[in-house]
Amino acid sequence: MWASIAWRLFWRELRRGELWVIAFALFLAVGSVVSLSGITQGVQSALMQRSAQFTAADKVLRSSQPFNMELIAQAEQFNVQSARQMQFDSMLFASDMMQLATIKAVDDAYPLRGTLELKQSDNISVGEQAQLRPGYLYLEARLFDLLKLTVGDSLELGMSNFIVGGVIVNEPDAPLSVFGGAPRVLMHIDDVAATQIVQPGSRIAYRYLFAGENADLAQFEAQVEPQLSVHQRWQKMDRESAIGSALERAERFLLLAGLLGIVLAACAAAVAASRYAQRHTKAVAVIKALGATTAQIRLIYGSHLLLVVLFSLLCGVIAGQLAVSGAQLGIQQYLTDYRAEFSWRPLWLGCLTGLVCATLFAARPMWRLANTAAIEVLKQPETQFVLDKLQLITGALAIWGLMWLFSGELVLSIGLFLLCAVFAALLMVTAATLVKLTKPASAGQSSAGKLALANLRRRLWANSFQLITFSLAIFLALLLYFLRAELIGQWQRQIPQGAPNHFLVNITEQQRSILNDFAQTHQITLDKYYPVVRGRLLSINDEKLQQESSKEDRSEQRVGIGRELNLTWLAALPENNQVTSGSWFSADAQAQVSIESELAQRLDISLGDNLAFSIGGQQLSASVSSIRKVDWNSLQPNFYMILSPDLLAEFPATYITAFYLEAGREQLLNQLARLMPTVTVISVDNIIKQVNGIIDQVTIALSFILVIICFAAGLVLVAQVQATLEQREQELAILRTLGARYAFLRNALVLEFAMLGAMAGVFATVLAEAMLLIVQQRVFNLPFTLHYTLWWLGPLLGVILVTTLGWWQLKRLLRIPGAQLMRRVLQG
Amino acid sequence: MNTPEVHIKAVNVAKSVKVTDGSLTILHDISLTINRGESVAIVGASGSGKSTLLSLLAGLDTPTQGEVFLGQQPLHRLSEDERAGIRAANVGFVFQSFLLLPSLTALENITLPAELAGVKDARSRGLDLLLQVGLSERADFFPAQLSGGEQQRVAIARAFITQPAVLFADEPSANLDAATGQKIEDLLFKLNAEQGTTLVLVTHNNDLADRCQRQYQMQAGRFLDINTQGIADVG
Repeated sequence: MWASIAWRLFWRELRRGELWVIAFALFLAVGSVVSLSGITQGVQSALMQRSAQFTAADKVLRSSQPFNMELIAQAEQFNVQSARQMQFDSMLFASDMMQLATIKAVDDAYPLRGTLELKQSDNISVGEQAQLRPGYLYLEARLFDLLKLTVGDSLELGMSNFIVGGVIVNEPDAPLSVFGGAPRVLMHIDDVAATQIVQPGSRIAYRYLFAGENADLAQFEAQVEPQLSVHQRWQKMDRESAIGSALERAERFLLLAGLLGIVLAACAAAVAASRYAQRHTKAVAVIKALGATTAQIRLIYGSHLLLVVLFSLLCGVIAGQLAVSGAQLGIQQYLTDYRAEFSWRPLWLGCLTGLVCATLFAARPMWRLANTAAIEVLKQPETQFVLDKLQLITGALAIWGLMWLFSGELVLSIGLFLLCAVFAALLMVTAATLVKLTKPASAGQSSAGKLALANLRRRLWANSFQLITFSLAIFLALLLYFLRAELIGQWQRQIPQGAPNHFLVNITEQQRSILNDFAQTHQITLDKYYPVVRGRLLSINDEKLQQESSKEDRSEQRVGIGRELNLTWLAALPENNQVTSGSWFSADAQAQVSIESELAQRLDISLGDNLAFSIGGQQLSASVSSIRKVDWNSLQPNFYMILSPDLLAEFPATYITAFYLEAGREQLLNQLARLMPTVTVISVDNIIKQVNGIIDQVTIALSFILVIICFAAGLVLVAQVQATLEQREQELAILRTLGARYAFLRNALVLEFAMLGAMAGVFATVLAEAMLLIVQQRVFNLPFTLHYTLWWLGPLLGVILVTTLGWWQLKRLLRIPGAQLMRRVLQG
Repeated sequence: MNTPEVHIKAVNVAKSVKVTDGSLTILHDISLTINRGESVAIVGASGSGKSTLLSLLAGLDTPTQGEVFLGQQPLHRLSEDERAGIRAANVGFVFQSFLLLPSLTALENITLPAELAGVKDARSRGLDLLLQVGLSERADFFPAQLSGGEQQRVAIARAFITQPAVLFADEPSANLDAATGQKIEDLLFKLNAEQGTTLVLVTHNNDLADRCQRQYQMQAGRFLDINTQGIADVG
């Protein structure tokens, strides 16, 4: 019998529109999670696609052993494309000239991601997606100068003769490091055997490139993993490069955006559910007085919640998926690789969020509603918005649970949650105190102002709770806006205007003066000279290093450095370096070395350890006097090991320097190459261009997410104002009956919301500034600076946002004639 | 002559509520007995405690002290849900502010207690009652579409649908104009007489109280004196 009552009440409540508020809040929670998660996943996937272009594949398996064709066959079974690549250093011979080069041999499938661009001459381009022809070599531009070659000339490599096929314009997986090492050459893999370069013991790097759908790749990787030998391993994302680091930041930011959106939706669900329960207290008391048991009420209203939840989940999932598909069109204009792949993850995340919000936010008020005592039927209805402490606790737990679920990081979620909790508690107390303190000051204010203040005071705790949500919404908008600015600013600082875009490596002592003259003549500003001596780390505290352990990832990725490191000696600590333990060399430092922190950690080196180096056949040792943190994004020459000047000053060194060359003056590079053929010129223009491209696209993606979050925040604010509608209706009816004029009521209303908005804005500003402080110091490693714009923008935003939304929702109440309003109130 | 059967009995009942600075006693040492089929008015000024007494006698609330029996059921010892069960089977209510559920039609409001009690012919009973209260053409109207008098007539029909043994009415005509109030009172007493229901009526209206067989006068939570009138002519 309860079912027919429940069903009838449900449809009538739907018609009355009350259940829609709670349904809409849950829909919002589910929809925003599905869309945010879906789009974030899509954008992340697109960014990974972009990054894949820099590795020419989705996955790279590295090996020191010849190709195992069984792996290639297995990839095919999983619909995964594959390509093979070999890389080695060898000498090129052209007429009477020779040059060491890094040779990369690739097959026809190369590259699986990104584009290979080759050019035959200034006029004839081989075009994008060019394939390499057997019998030809394709050279980096500087090799043409170094070996005095033109396209079509003959060239020897190992035991074979080749024809110069063209210039490499863009090689997708070229090393990103500024010290690319030897000039690069591309050849077809079928020609490698004939050169007879590959001999037992030769140092050849074999790479398998794989590309395909994420799911296929994951299955393939899982299948292959147990078969891998110690010589084979998956290449990790290059976290050290500028692009790797930028991607990591983008991931964190997108995650944060998604995480904070949920908090808003959860608040909307809580407020809407509380309002619904409060409005039905009298009805439940009546039904109970007529003989219904608590269990019957629970079934009736529980079924309402269940139907609302199911409806919201369904609509939320559909709307979320539509948003993801719709966003695809917009985002594709900027992120060409973006594709809305169907994934279960956003769907179950959305549904789980909806269920968590429903059970921990909405179910609690429903539970309380069923406990309403029958005696309430004889009491005056409660119109005041009552804050349920237990709901606050379950809601808080739900928020934390969702934070954990979304971030996947326990510590991050606890930290973020505690910060929010402390903020909420502080806000409640401060808001309540502020509102209480307004009494004496209000004496001289206009009567509209007095009424506004009286309204704020009367709904003290309810207003404090509203303040939290208002503040949270404004805080999110401010944080996203400023964090985005911070992020972009950080990237732009990384590539400042006029930053060196060309590096000169291998400069001898004698060439320094020639180079200085050249720079002066052509009005080029040279950076400082860094002396470089190449050497190997032999042992740590007399413990000899094994080949494998000393061959760490980073040096392998820096093609050309190989097993040897660039050692330098410097009296002063370089810019972008920070001593984290120990102290920098004193003026009379003897036999000391400063080591980069990550390398120190990887090789388990600590202060005072004794390191032995082999330099040019001589051995020397130094004790570790400091460990440094190095900003690898600085696009400046950086060193793992810096020795004290006394150790290396006597060794013959070469130098590195850098300079900025404006676009259109590239011919100077050829002049420089002819003037000093042994000096290697490395251009970082391409890297800068690539990083800038990613920044542009990430910025667009973040703006999109910011819009979604602001939209969600606006809707939460609407739900908040809706929660006080009944009480306001009652108050207005009384005031109108007592003769209050429209202008008076309007002014009081606007002032009330403006004050609330200003307070929320100030709180939001304080929190946003605090959060930016953490982000600046922890994420970007920057000194803290105040964001002055924030301090006027926050409160202004609060006033405009809250007043507009409040006015928009309540203006119709003001226009209802007094008698009609009174009748509505009396009828409940 | 048969001894009248005691239907409602209160023994030394007191009710206190918590207030910010301690507790406030609303009812002091109230004892009464109401026989089956009897109509009794509890009269008093606003705040005298008459509605509180009604809530205790009807099992909407429990006393702080004393005992309340409805038939053989000790209401003071029962839980909220046990009392709800007794109300569903035995009690009907008419409230001052009607208290119809705004989202249900007139007919649905009337049948609600019967449906909660699992009565199978709730709808036909409801329609019959609608006819009796003169609102058969308003069956599908929502409360907001009805006048105050019509709403109270629906409330009276709702009160009688489960054919309760006892009907509690709290100021049933206070929210209505004099003429409408009179009609409502007539309807209430008519149905009460037809069904032989025990009627407990709370009012500050002496004319209405005079229509009951007995009156209890209340002041500051206590009975002033017990007036045992002869059976009034309720025809």
